[in-house]
Amino acid sequence: MPSRESAREPEPALAGFGRYAGPATLILASLADGAKHGYALTKDIESFSGVRLAPGTLYEALARLQGQGLIEPVESHDRRRPYQLTAVGARALRAHLDAQRKVADLGLRRLASSWGTA
Amino acid sequence: MTPAQRAARLLRWYPKAWRSRYGEEFAELLIAEISERPRSPIRTADVARGGIVARLAGAGLCGCALEPSAQARASLVSLGWCVAIFTGFGAAMWSQLTIGWQWSAPDNEATAVAMVVMSAAMLAFGVLAAAAAAPVLWSAGSRIARGRARGLLGPTALVVACALVMFAGGTHFGNGWPGTGGHPWAGQGLVPGGVAAFSWASTLWVSSYWAHPGALASFPAAELAWMASSPLAVAGLVGGTAALVRRAELSPRVLGFEARLGTAACAVMAVFLGGCCAWIVDGGPGPRNLFHAGAIDAAGVVVLAIAFLAARQAARMARAGTARAR
Repeated sequence: MPSRESAREPEPALAGFGRYAGPATLILASLADGAKHGYALTKDIESFSGVRLAPGTLYEALARLQGQGLIEPVESHDRRRPYQLTAVGARALRAHLDAQRKVADLGLRRLASSWGTA
Repeated sequence: MTPAQRAARLLRWYPKAWRSRYGEEFAELLIAEISERPRSPIRTADVARGGIVARLAGAGLCGCALEPSAQARASLVSLGWCVAIFTGFGAAMWSQLTIGWQWSAPDNEATAVAMVVMSAAMLAFGVLAAAAAAPVLWSAGSRIARGRARGLLGPTALVVACALVMFAGGTHFGNGWPGTGGHPWAGQGLVPGGVAAFSWASTLWVSSYWAHPGALASFPAAELAWMASSPLAVAGLVGGTAALVRRAELSPRVLGFEARLGTAACAVMAVFLGGCCAWIVDGGPGPRNLFHAGAIDAAGVVVLAIAFLAARQAARMARAGTARAR
């Protein structure tokens, strides 16, 4: 189970990740359905977004997310260490996706009214 | 070369601390990637970039992956090195001007204003350095007094030894300079002649003579030895202080104080840099060419600007680290 201990910490926002917000969102979305190690993350993200995160970029984002308490490593005897979402990370992802959905909904509505639905 | 060997090679881009934390799992990912796509220049470039970023993060200059207090300490150490480089090159340029003023006042307003600004900044650097050193030395001293000297005696001895070397060498070679310390006119300039001479002698190694070995060969052997050894003493002084900052278990409050001093030092650096640029851009050579700005001075300003930008980033990261540590 993801740790609930970090739930009392201040809420970090993904917007503060700057140019890492994209990879961070993809990683958090991938971890939303369970823990994954680096290679599994790469393949999963590629399958649902078409984006293949390069190893350096992936681990840079993982280190930042871990530093912010949004993800945490899972105990493993394997050399491939899996990561999982924390409670804070789940809330940050939900807030970020809600904000993105508002933008997407607004954009689609405006497109529909000006350009039609086709 | 096997994928494992190539992964191990790529891993060298990353610093040791990062490798000990992420090395195994990252190597596994690289092996899987290399097995799937043996040749990928983009992957190599990405790993190299990631390694450089990890090294900068380890130095407290970017990122937020480190533990907050460790990030603050790393940033403060980087800040200390930046300020040391800045003051080393800055003092070399400033002392030339102050020595010139021992002989004759500048006849150009820009040079005169620049020198006043730079002198005020140098005084501020001295005050800030004393304020920054006091809590570190107090913390280290009290730990040593309580018998918890593990890891502190070496850096403390290094700091004391290097400070003594700088003081003895700077005084000795400063007194040997006829235009300042020992000159009967000394004291008529903007700053006391002894201070100007000491500053000049302490930064004798910042010299364009290194590019002219023929001229350098005519220098007295003792002076050459001093030019070669004084930067090592400065490096030992800063390195020893950095080790004390890392090992003295400074409280978050002290780290916050040091970070605020770092921010103040950046402001002083900006002021000094402004004065320096005013002299180089608008200052004249002055009487007897005493205030002439040469290529070495222009190069010095570039070094100052780089050190200033790095220091500003380190100060920003130190503040962020101390805020997270609280």
